[in-house]
Amino acid sequence: MNVASQKGVLRRGWSAAVGDYAIAGGWTLRGDALVVGDAAGGVYAFDGKSGASAWARQGAHDGGVLAMTIHPSGTAFATAGQDGRVLIWGVAEGQVKQAIDIGSSWVENVAWSPDGQWLAVSCSRQVRAYGVDGAEVWRSDDHPSTVSAIAWSSEGELATACYGRVTFFDAPTGELRQKLEWQGSLVSIVLSPDGDIVACGSQDNSVHFWRRSTEQDYMMSGYSAKPSALAFNETGTLLATGGGEAVTVWSFQGSGPEGTRPGVLEFHVQPVTTLAFARREMRLASAARDGTVAVWSLERDGKGRSIGSAVLAGIGAELYWRPDGRALAALDARGGVTVWRIG
Amino acid sequence: MDTPRKVPVSILTGFLGSGKTTLLNRILSEEHGKRIAVIENEYGEVGIDQALVINADEEIFEMSNGCICCTVRGDLIRVLGNLMKRRDKFDYVLVETTGLADPGPVAQTFFMDDEIREEFSIDGIVTLVDAAHIEQQLGRSDESTEQIAFADVLVLNKTDLVNGEALDRLEARLRDMNRMARVVRSERANVSVDTVLNLGAFDLDQVLERRPTFLEPEYPFEWTGVYSLDIGRYELDLADGPDPAMSLVVVSDQGTDDAALRESAEWCVRRYAEPAEIIRPGEKIPVGKHVNLQLNSPGRKSFFLEVDTPVRVGLYAEHSAEEFDLQLTNAEGATIRQEVERTWVAQHEHDDEVGSIAIERDGDVDPKMLDAWIGELLSERGVDIFRMKGFISLAGESHRFVFQGVHMLFDGQPDRPWGDSPRRNQLVFIGRNLDEQSMRQGFEACLI
Repeated sequence: MNVASQKGVLRRGWSAAVGDYAIAGGWTLRGDALVVGDAAGGVYAFDGKSGASAWARQGAHDGGVLAMTIHPSGTAFATAGQDGRVLIWGVAEGQVKQAIDIGSSWVENVAWSPDGQWLAVSCSRQVRAYGVDGAEVWRSDDHPSTVSAIAWSSEGELATACYGRVTFFDAPTGELRQKLEWQGSLVSIVLSPDGDIVACGSQDNSVHFWRRSTEQDYMMSGYSAKPSALAFNETGTLLATGGGEAVTVWSFQGSGPEGTRPGVLEFHVQPVTTLAFARREMRLASAARDGTVAVWSLERDGKGRSIGSAVLAGIGAELYWRPDGRALAALDARGGVTVWRIG
Repeated sequence: MDTPRKVPVSILTGFLGSGKTTLLNRILSEEHGKRIAVIENEYGEVGIDQALVINADEEIFEMSNGCICCTVRGDLIRVLGNLMKRRDKFDYVLVETTGLADPGPVAQTFFMDDEIREEFSIDGIVTLVDAAHIEQQLGRSDESTEQIAFADVLVLNKTDLVNGEALDRLEARLRDMNRMARVVRSERANVSVDTVLNLGAFDLDQVLERRPTFLEPEYPFEWTGVYSLDIGRYELDLADGPDPAMSLVVVSDQGTDDAALRESAEWCVRRYAEPAEIIRPGEKIPVGKHVNLQLNSPGRKSFFLEVDTPVRVGLYAEHSAEEFDLQLTNAEGATIRQEVERTWVAQHEHDDEVGSIAIERDGDVDPKMLDAWIGELLSERGVDIFRMKGFISLAGESHRFVFQGVHMLFDGQPDRPWGDSPRRNQLVFIGRNLDEQSMRQGFEACLI
């Protein structure tokens, strides 16, 4: 395993490895631990400061982990996999507290509500909500096609994306609240923190977004690849998008982004795979298929400059800022887990 | 960064009841050492432990990559995107479509999505045909026609339910629709796994190896016999056969090598296009003319040939010698053996709208003209062209250029060097209502 070289604000932290492509992860215990799930179905926990292995559970999901979500308390997390199951874990002890059998299809998405009360799970055309105890609260009717992405728009409302539609559900009841339609294969979803703007990456190399209050929709096209990586900053003023080698940042200030020119951040030489904003800061991290990682300092208009960079051993898979913004974790396709301190 | 080999994908199509699940189970049990992923849209009865069976909801939509718009399968993009992450790659992926599926979107998915194209390649499209019911299905649905047109391998299944003659007729009809495909017969989908997996089916060389005649032009005659004759009167004697009449052209000064035979064959094609002279039993056959021998009287019939200088003649006949027990005897009644005999790919009626066109030409092609021709052809007729493949000799290039396509999508790259082998071009198109003559002319215009 190569130790990644780094420049700028990225300072040497630690690196570790999991068994296969590192699919998903997250910081837990306020940054004291990092948990990671891999394509071979293993789930791992590392000490946040040293990178020492806290525990490892291989073969937790037969066929591989597909998604992970960290409980807002930081003491629990949930994984979903190809085995059709969702597992709820305690971070400290690495024990499965609840195992939920969803069905025979892949469980592709899992997300805890911001207040930690509900666990949303999507499998095939259905989305379901579970309580913390693993008991099912409701399940939706079939969507017109497979649910490709889910996100919480607020503590009490869940959004789903599928081909041709974004749908909003009331969290406690599962009642359908709003449908936004557009004939396109939506592959990812992200919401502004106030829940008003919903943006989706589309298979046809465009980003589609709606203002829910007006139900007006807009399309940003011209991407050279599928913009599956999307991220809003904490104030909801900047939307960073992948969809090619460049990171494209749209500013929602004033009357934008309609009719404005986005910030275009150029560094990666292959398409961007993941984006993450640091909390409370105008800092964005990006990773790409070429294994490069960059940290950007952004302006209010979406323009920005690189303030740090590094190279991973494999395709960049995911990036996670530590809640305090003082460290950045990167997962890669070769199973590498790399953490930098931020200077 | 790693550049791992592409994972081969087989697409399994066929109507409900054609035996897809049986074949799938057979493949999985025989290939048990391999890591195989199966993507299904219907809950089948696949029960093999070591295979990963993934159920996906068929999700078809139109996708544009800037200049071309076509339908793809969104569920496959997602599932394959996840499968390719594993370090221990799958040896093989099998996609089983629903009975009524058009194979087009499945195949097009492997061209349209960049990430999928990087990691996977189509190994072949295998279509199962229920021999007892396909004729009805072909009449009723476009999907079954398309499934046959797209196939690299046609498994003619349940042959035990149909008599031999009907089966031959059916096979001939399927071959007419798709001359590129290999036809395999089976009873309970009991075909050897090699015939449906690891086909390298997009490699035209393999297709040619299996059926070396399929690119040959069709002739209005089926058989040629070359006879060396002295001066004298000869009797051409025929028994009862399949037709009440048979066309024939007798060529004088016929050579015996393949080039000479082909040259005369081309000449005879023009003679055959002329109106035939009716020749009755007992009459003399003129040399170098299109004649039609009348054979409707029962028993053996004799016609005469007169030779005034020693000569080698070629008989270019509409039917093979065996079909009418054709004999040539001299004045003493001794049978003359033919020096050389050759059969030709005979023309026959094409009943179905879907058919194949094969073009073979020697020489180099102007890349710009080819590009313009293919571009125009695909934009105008792409909807009707199901499959195409072949290789091209591009002027100034040291390597063969191989290509394949599905509808409007076209993908090509340099292959092995030409070396000392003669530079030539072979193209095969399978489609609906294709205009063979204009396509041939279009390609010929690209030749330098």
